[in-house]
Amino acid sequence: MVERMGRDGQDTIIATRNLSRTYIMGKMQVTALNRVTLDIRRGEFAAIMGKSGSGKSTLLHQLGLLDTPTEGEIVIDGVEISGLSEAARTRFRLEKFGYVFQEYAILPEMTALENVYLPAMALGLSQGECIRNGMDALEKVGLTGRADHRPREMSGGEQQRVAIARALINNPKILFADEPTANLDSVSSRQILELFRALNRDTGQTILMVTHELEDADIVDRVIWLADGEVVVREG
Amino acid sequence: MTSTRTELKVSAFLAYKFIAKGNRGTSALTILIMALAFVNLMFTTSVFDGMGDATETQVIDTLYSNIVIEPADGELYIENPDSVVKKIINVPGVIGTSAQYVTGATIAYEEQSGAWSIRAVDPADERTVSTVPDMMIEGEYLSRSDTREIIIGKEIAGGHGGSLEHTSLGGVVVGDTVEVTFANGVKREYRVKGIFDTNFIQSNQLAYVTEKEMESVLGIHDMASQILVKTDTKGEEDRFLNQFVELGVHEDIKPWIVYAGIIATLTQSFDALNALTGAIGFFVAGVTIFIVIYVSTVSKRRQIGILRAIGIKESIIVRSYIFQAVFYAVCGCIAGLVIMFAILVPYFIKHPMVFPMGDVTLLIEQKAAITRSAGLIISAAIAGFLPSWRAVRETILDAIWGD
Repeated sequence: MVERMGRDGQDTIIATRNLSRTYIMGKMQVTALNRVTLDIRRGEFAAIMGKSGSGKSTLLHQLGLLDTPTEGEIVIDGVEISGLSEAARTRFRLEKFGYVFQEYAILPEMTALENVYLPAMALGLSQGECIRNGMDALEKVGLTGRADHRPREMSGGEQQRVAIARALINNPKILFADEPTANLDSVSSRQILELFRALNRDTGQTILMVTHELEDADIVDRVIWLADGEVVVREG
Repeated sequence: MTSTRTELKVSAFLAYKFIAKGNRGTSALTILIMALAFVNLMFTTSVFDGMGDATETQVIDTLYSNIVIEPADGELYIENPDSVVKKIINVPGVIGTSAQYVTGATIAYEEQSGAWSIRAVDPADERTVSTVPDMMIEGEYLSRSDTREIIIGKEIAGGHGGSLEHTSLGGVVVGDTVEVTFANGVKREYRVKGIFDTNFIQSNQLAYVTEKEMESVLGIHDMASQILVKTDTKGEEDRFLNQFVELGVHEDIKPWIVYAGIIATLTQSFDALNALTGAIGFFVAGVTIFIVIYVSTVSKRRQIGILRAIGIKESIIVRSYIFQAVFYAVCGCIAGLVIMFAILVPYFIKHPMVFPMGDVTLLIEQKAAITRSAGLIISAAIAGFLPSWRAVRETILDAIWGD
């Protein structure tokens, strides 16, 4: 365990130091992230913004343990990530993270409730606990009435709310959202963002969201601006 | 850490959902192909087992019965065969005995002749160990007091559509007279009293006269070349052998299988063919499942990536595909058995295949069904594992956002 406080003295849940990610594309070496150093505070609702190709999704993937950085250090909830095995990273994701992807990434063969409680089942909870926690999570996103519906019977906004409920089922330390409103109409987008805001405000849920919508900056605590793989601006 | 039980539970849940809520047409087609693969595996085996069973039945019913008692080493005949029969006839399970003389002879009719084996029997006793008396296609079976009368198999008589027409007597019918020259040089004429057809090429090459007639030819009395013993079960011959020895039978006692060299030859050939067709069948079934699971993993590539992203272990995902493959295989085996028992077996009972050992129907041995099912399920499990294992080797980012 690595206990670390942010440079501003507040409780830090994510800390990166000199985080870099380069890709080899043919004979070219492409630097997607270049020595990124940042802290995310516990309970913070932060947005990562920047132009297309600025490295915002790459940064989210490193912090969400979906990819492995080429260089640098990541400490999440006191754990130095580079020392974790692949199995431990998988377990870490299951126990501590929730994910919401751009597309409605829920399984079409399952009902809303089943989609939601799948991570809880993988954690070893009983069927009763899975259903109870699943319904609680669906209640948080206002979809208890759609518990038995399959994705094809729901709108895009509803499917994304199911994905959010799934992300919340194991009470994650951090909720990662990768352009969660990109495929939604403006009304649904607003509902999702308000839901994130309410979750953050009411439960102290740490949320890190990638977005390219400038108006989303108004709803978050802080924007981390990226350009050419580097952090260029921070706003509190 | 997540327990194995939890992992199995999640794998089973995913597999159940993919099957139950996935494309039913794909599932039905896969199960049908598995069923046909199973039928393919079982059909050949069942034909071979049916042929083996038919041959065994023919050897026992028309040639050697279950147990053969022969003269002790160095002896030509069993003396006083009645005394031997008395020792064993009351053994539980023994249901008939027939003391016989067996000799070689040349049988001639007009310009045709050939060497065959002639058995001399007590007709009443013979009926307790053999089905030949019930298989007369012309004339009648022997009576105890018959002399100068003979019954012959259709391969000797000729003219009855046998397989050895060229070596037969060329068309003897009941009432004709044949000339028999015995191994000891005695030559006699016999009226053909009956012609039999056992549907078994070997027993159709036998001729029968009465015991009384043969004793007059050989000039001996109260002896036998062999005693055939019929038991009420097949496969327990060794137990009877031991009991006979304990009861003081000092002659040479052998089970029927010793005389059935054809069975061993057939079995060896069938085993080789079975192994070959089985390997091909398993391979075809395995490839089918592989393709089905491969297509499934390709079409669910992103879904697999997302499952991994949210923390579902790779082993859980791989196992869910193995479970699907095993489910298809198990359903295929069940459907295949239904096809076999409900359609093919009744069909071949009604329309048996005609082979030199007789009419052959499908014989589904429990052991064969179990080993073929197990083989198919194992093939399916391997075929389910390979593409899913390959799918989870991919990086999560490639799986979710790759081309």
